[in-house]
Amino acid sequence: MDCRNYKELLDSYLCQELAVETNHQMLNHAEYCPKCRAEMASRRNMRDALRRACFKECLSQTALDRMRAQLHAEAFSLESSQKTNAPNWLEKLFSPRILVPVFSVIVVLAIGISVYLKTSSSQSKASPLSELLLTEAASDHQKCATHFALSTEVAFMPDSAEKYDEVYRGLDLVAKSGASGLTLRSAHVCKPDNRQFAHLVYTRGKNLISLLVTKRDGKSLQTGELTPLGTELAELEESTNGALSIGARQTSKHIVLVISDLPQPENEKLAKTLALPVVEHISRIDRLTAHALNLKHQNIIASMRRREMK
Amino acid sequence: MIRSKELDQQKLDSFETQALGYADQLYRVALRLCRNREKAEDLVQETFLQAWRSFHRFELGTNLRAWLYKIMFNVHYSNQRRDRLQLIPTEETIAETLAYDPPTPQHLTEEEILAALEKLPRDFQIPILLADVEELSYREIADVLEIPIGTVMSRLHRGRKILRTDLVKYAREAGYKLSS
Repeated sequence: MDCRNYKELLDSYLCQELAVETNHQMLNHAEYCPKCRAEMASRRNMRDALRRACFKECLSQTALDRMRAQLHAEAFSLESSQKTNAPNWLEKLFSPRILVPVFSVIVVLAIGISVYLKTSSSQSKASPLSELLLTEAASDHQKCATHFALSTEVAFMPDSAEKYDEVYRGLDLVAKSGASGLTLRSAHVCKPDNRQFAHLVYTRGKNLISLLVTKRDGKSLQTGELTPLGTELAELEESTNGALSIGARQTSKHIVLVISDLPQPENEKLAKTLALPVVEHISRIDRLTAHALNLKHQNIIASMRRREMK
Repeated sequence: MIRSKELDQQKLDSFETQALGYADQLYRVALRLCRNREKAEDLVQETFLQAWRSFHRFELGTNLRAWLYKIMFNVHYSNQRRDRLQLIPTEETIAETLAYDPPTPQHLTEEEILAALEKLPRDFQIPILLADVEELSYREIADVLEIPIGTVMSRLHRGRKILRTDLVKYAREAGYKLSS
């Protein structure tokens, strides 16, 4: 290797990009050539100085904090979960060009069906609840509520709960008037098995009480068919599941269940007071058309929040 | 919901631990791409957001740093198209005129060397920054910039020559000693 070759390869040598053989040749040459040794030292110094100078340029702490905040917001927003999980064809399917006409058709159909249901059967009775629903609800009480029994920090129902069902938002505030003497431990939405519940967890002394709200569908009813419910509220339905007592009330689209380890008569009494404001609130919302729903619901929650603040 | 929130938090923690350590490295390159601090910060921020959105596609154990650089260059180029800005053309001709291999000056300050780097055309500046400062391999640079490895080597070779030539001129004017 001569000096010209050495200088040509010197930067690649410093970047550790040369083969082992060539590295040896470089070192051998440098050993006997002081000029090339000096050149290597100069280039290495220059490289180090450049690195030192560049390393002074760092992202400011403000920018880093802003970035972390944005990442956090992105990670826990609905938009993010759609973006991260939805494949391209799904994103295209949900583009406004397709979504707007589909949504219009759904709204027209929904209005038609609701008018039909109102006129066809306004006085029909509530069907008994299915064993499956009672088991799922009892299982949720046992699995989920026990986690929050000793929780010192109350988890309130997040506004984002409305993405699962519009009636879930502010449910803890709605239930408050019927929950005197109970301590709220957690309000959340959970899906322990195949069914989704809005879950309010309360304690009274050593007793653990769950108020669950879920959709009223075919699987939740004993008949297996979604029979329309009259405009009047259905009566409280009492049952047991193992050692648990369950009180349930139905609205046209939802079922409200109160589950506890209290004796059945005591649970019945509690369920009447605890479920009442929730059932009234949900059936008010169930009766609203989709168009009026959003505004009305927002007003209800906002007024409750204002009252809460006072 | 709680379970999925916990999973999201774990995923975000894992992303932050692994990826945010490269924020300064990305920022240094972003500074040269944008030539403006605020724009560079925005570019890095957008890069991490894009990376987070695609993190489920990232294969663990592969080169995260190169992946982040690649996202940053894609974001930058797409921003440029959006803003209808022209890319700075490659000034290959500058390097072609260098007929000799300049010596490397000694005793120059960090600021003087940095100033010479800033004067380089971007097509030479970015590979030098990636190779000599951020210590990416030639193969990684080729992948990130989506150019053949031969082009990376020739740009590095020419870019370093231009850099040394500028520094020699500067050293002579300042009366510094040259190594040969």
